[in-house]
Amino acid sequence: MADSYSEGRTGDGEYQEQFLNDKTLRRLGAAIAGLFTLGVGGFIAAIIFTQVDFELLVEIIHPQFVNAFFRVLGIVLVGSLLSVTAGVFVGLGRVSNTKFTNAVATAYVEFFRGTPLLFQLLVIYVGIPAFWPPGQFPISNWAIPTAIIGLTLNHAAYVGEAVRGGIDAVPEGQMEAARSLGMSYVQGMREVVLPQAWRNALAAIGNDQVILVKDTSLLTVIAIPELISAFRNVNSTTFDPWTPIILVAIAYLMITIPLGKIVSYLEARSDWGGDRR
Amino acid sequence: MERRTFLKGSAGAAAAFTLAGCLGGGGGSGSETITIGSDIPYRPFEYETTEGELVGFDVDIAEAVFGELGYEHEFQKTSFDSIIPSLNNGNFRVIMSAMTITEDRAEQIDFSDPYFTAYQTVIVLNSSDISSKEDLQGVTVGVQKGTTGESAATSLKEEFGGDLTIQSYDQVTGAFDALRNNQVSAVVNDNTVNAAFVDQSDNVRFLEGPGAAEEQGKENAPPYLTLTVEEYGIGFRQDDDELREEVNGALQTIRDNGTYDEIYSEYFSG
Repeated sequence: MADSYSEGRTGDGEYQEQFLNDKTLRRLGAAIAGLFTLGVGGFIAAIIFTQVDFELLVEIIHPQFVNAFFRVLGIVLVGSLLSVTAGVFVGLGRVSNTKFTNAVATAYVEFFRGTPLLFQLLVIYVGIPAFWPPGQFPISNWAIPTAIIGLTLNHAAYVGEAVRGGIDAVPEGQMEAARSLGMSYVQGMREVVLPQAWRNALAAIGNDQVILVKDTSLLTVIAIPELISAFRNVNSTTFDPWTPIILVAIAYLMITIPLGKIVSYLEARSDWGGDRR
Repeated sequence: MERRTFLKGSAGAAAAFTLAGCLGGGGGSGSETITIGSDIPYRPFEYETTEGELVGFDVDIAEAVFGELGYEHEFQKTSFDSIIPSLNNGNFRVIMSAMTITEDRAEQIDFSDPYFTAYQTVIVLNSSDISSKEDLQGVTVGVQKGTTGESAATSLKEEFGGDLTIQSYDQVTGAFDALRNNQVSAVVNDNTVNAAFVDQSDNVRFLEGPGAAEEQGKENAPPYLTLTVEEYGIGFRQDDDELREEVNGALQTIRDNGTYDEIYSEYFSG
């Protein structure tokens, strides 16, 4: 089969071999990629040269978008730190041999992964203060705590699942070996299993943290002046869609691209080879 | 061969659509359906009852006006801050969403004659120690995004030299919840919508004091603080003059025959 394919020109397969060989496929791929680039490039150029009002662009960057950017960045940093930390414990709960702990961790993951983040944010933002009589709720800027709590609870569930997957992927013999060397379960987890599980889970955790960044766009409904609100403000006063929306794209990419780089760096650092320390 | 037939077919379909589009845009009368863009819910102008029935002042006025003209009509939910671009994109034919006529908006769309006069007002909790406009300095107020309540709050902020924090919610109910939950100290919004909320709730009140309505010598001005006076209009695309004039005529008719007053007293007391 392989021979006749590379040599070509035998019997009924002739048509295919002539056109569908490695070379044409490569060229076809490059041509499609080229067309795609041209299309996207043209589209972006059309936006920049026909749609964007540069005067307005400069005017709205500061303070509106700069403030929104740093607010989102702050929420992401705190939410990220808390959700990864909490997620490790959720993951440990999910692999726990104690039935009760395991069931609680499973229920937690099912609930927070099974309901939309928007719903969770509304429950926290509107629901929790309703326990107090009108006007008596003690925290007067509840939106930011809501954002942190909501993002942490939601993403801890996803990180927990990533960590569970990471731990499950470590061969059972690792824990058995640790135990037979006299380590306790906790020691074995901490010294042997978790470092390997971390490597396995890192890609999934990084992916989830990028989603966390994008999830901050939902915070517009609880009146946090984040990037989407900034866009909507400008859009509803100037009726100009592209100028503010381009800033939104740049602002999100300014967070997600470096985040992706950090994750690749961490992945490379913890890779099997160990030649990059 | 197949491909050609397909191309021909789709070209025909495209032509048919274009033709239909022209006819639709022409605004002939008959059993044509007018789609109305509206940000629902916005009590008492457009909201759904617990049974899911759409009711409200705008809904009844639409019924009266388009019924008078012999058009079918239907409401389409949309968000207020993108309602003007949506109209111009052709997502619906007209806007009826308690929309104030402003110069900025009039540059983008055309308005019918005013069908309602509203005042921007401020509500606070009964227990609040805010008792005049000046007391609002330095506090946090809640508004709905993209509304004239937001603009009124913004000009108030300028008046106070920036010493006012504005929280913008997607819907006015968000701002009311925030007031109840101690996230904002006051809500700036239309008097009628605020009045509906004050009527329904035991623990909020209007902020009182002389305001814009007195300054402009408006008759029937409400007895509480008014920040601005606004007139509501039905929004049309700028090339839709024929329908706009028909609607203006129908508005006059329902004012003359008492239908307007009937609808008004159903939703607003006094």
